Amino acid sequence: MDAIKASDLIDLFDAWRQLFAEQREFLIALDGKVGDSDLGITMSKSFAAAAEAVAAEGEAAGIAKLLRTAGATMARTAPSTMGTLTATGFLRASKAVDTATSLGTAEMAAFWAAYRNGIAERGKAKVGDKTIVDVLDPAARMLEEQAAAGASLPVALAAAAATAEEALEKTKTMVAQHGKAAAFQEKTIGLQDAGATVGVLLLKKLSDFASA
Amino acid sequence: MKKFLNDPVNFVDEMLEGIYRAHPQVTFVAEDKRCMVTANPKTGKVGIATGGGSGHLPLFLGYVGDGMLDGAAVGGVFQSPSSEQMYQVTKAIDQGAGVLYIYGNYSGDIINFDMAAELADLDGIEVKQCVGNDDVASSKVGEEHKRRGVAGIYFVYKTAGAAAAEGLSLDEVHRVAEKARLRTRTMGVALSSCVVPEIGHATFSIGEDEMEIGMGIHGEPGISRKKLGTADAVIDEMMERIFVEQDYKSGDEVAVLINGLGGTPLEELYILFRRVAQLLEGRGIIAKHVWVGEFATSMEMAGASVSILHLDAELDRLVAAPANTPFFKHFSA
Repeated sequence: MDAIKASDLIDLFDAWRQLFAEQREFLIALDGKVGDSDLGITMSKSFAAAAEAVAAEGEAAGIAKLLRTAGATMARTAPSTMGTLTATGFLRASKAVDTATSLGTAEMAAFWAAYRNGIAERGKAKVGDKTIVDVLDPAARMLEEQAAAGASLPVALAAAAATAEEALEKTKTMVAQHGKAAAFQEKTIGLQDAGATVGVLLLKKLSDFASA
Repeated sequence: MKKFLNDPVNFVDEMLEGIYRAHPQVTFVAEDKRCMVTANPKTGKVGIATGGGSGHLPLFLGYVGDGMLDGAAVGGVFQSPSSEQMYQVTKAIDQGAGVLYIYGNYSGDIINFDMAAELADLDGIEVKQCVGNDDVASSKVGEEHKRRGVAGIYFVYKTAGAAAAEGLSLDEVHRVAEKARLRTRTMGVALSSCVVPEIGHATFSIGEDEMEIGMGIHGEPGISRKKLGTADAVIDEMMERIFVEQDYKSGDEVAVLINGLGGTPLEELYILFRRVAQLLEGRGIIAKHVWVGEFATSMEMAGASVSILHLDAELDRLVAAPANTPFFKHFSA
């Protein structure tokens, strides 16, 4: 598809809901190595609630309002840190695409730049801290490049997802600075960051969705 | 562990039930006992909310009432409340004049209060924040932003609460809160550990004859652990660290808070205050307002903290203003 419309956005949240339901146990295990194992629960719960809320609201609400509903719903249903961070991402993305009637490559670039900024600000994380920001930042930059080059949405998202996957691999060399993982310091080397894994899952599913 | 409990899992909710039954001047919203608001809201007033983990009574919810705070969200013992709980309190106490958050500098609380402020903003509620960081022991000068918030937040509640009761705007109430925050310093000392009910054993161990200067109100490590000295010697060491942080001149006025951490008798707190008064007098500093008692505890931890608010004319007036909450009553002189 060339652009994601409000009706598609509702389907996208449903796809994300299914994704995190499937990945629940994987994320629990991954987070359990250096965290408190609640990541899989947080993500499956928050996306289930968000998907239900945007479906109930309906496409007439428009893109920005749907994203805002998704973010606000997530903030309420998933009180753990990662739930609050992903919620913040969607609320900031909502503001960034305030007037958009559909999400093409340019709007998608604005969406993910705002998503990254929101999470970095709220979590007080910077690039290199071994967090989701380490995959969101290169992915958002790639989307900006693709938008500048006039790439179609499926091409741009495929490039962003590939960049995110490479970036996730690089988190293995980093030392965790945030959350419960920070206490493990050097022991986090060699492990891919659980939050960054969530970022890659989100972007890959989005790319698949836009290509379908 | 020797505690009065039913099921430890219900510790917080049963505590709250007791408080609501005892004090009809507070109630809760969103069908959630952890979202406390005053039952006596004042039309048009700036709302003030706080929040944080349970286990510190009278902090946080004990200060909800006239002349102090309008709402408080509390989490499990030593755990942050959720952003949703803070947001529900915010919505309930907003009178159209905006809401000020006053809470301690802990990462979980910050992330959830920030999120609550963002949710409130979507509803058109203006929120400002004041993050308490009075604990001198938790980071050095120049890195005050890393300092934890402890008992001195009481002075911020008291002055900002009085400013809001006077009908000041959100910007003005925020200015007062920030001024009180920047002029408050606290030093604490612990003699024994707290016990989190659901954990059931001491958070840390400390020798019978030892003290830890600078320990946090959740048992965070302090500056030094050593043999317990005399009451005077302990205060001398603590006050030295407070005096160097503010430019005190002879004739300056301060408010003093001697706070018990939960397991120390009032008698001992007055013995500590006696020495604080002597030291202030020795420098020509006037202890204009004094409170001695339990204001921010850490379950059954034995120990105490000293907080000093460096007054100016405005803070002097506000700290002395009347207040009436379930845990705190103050009458105008």
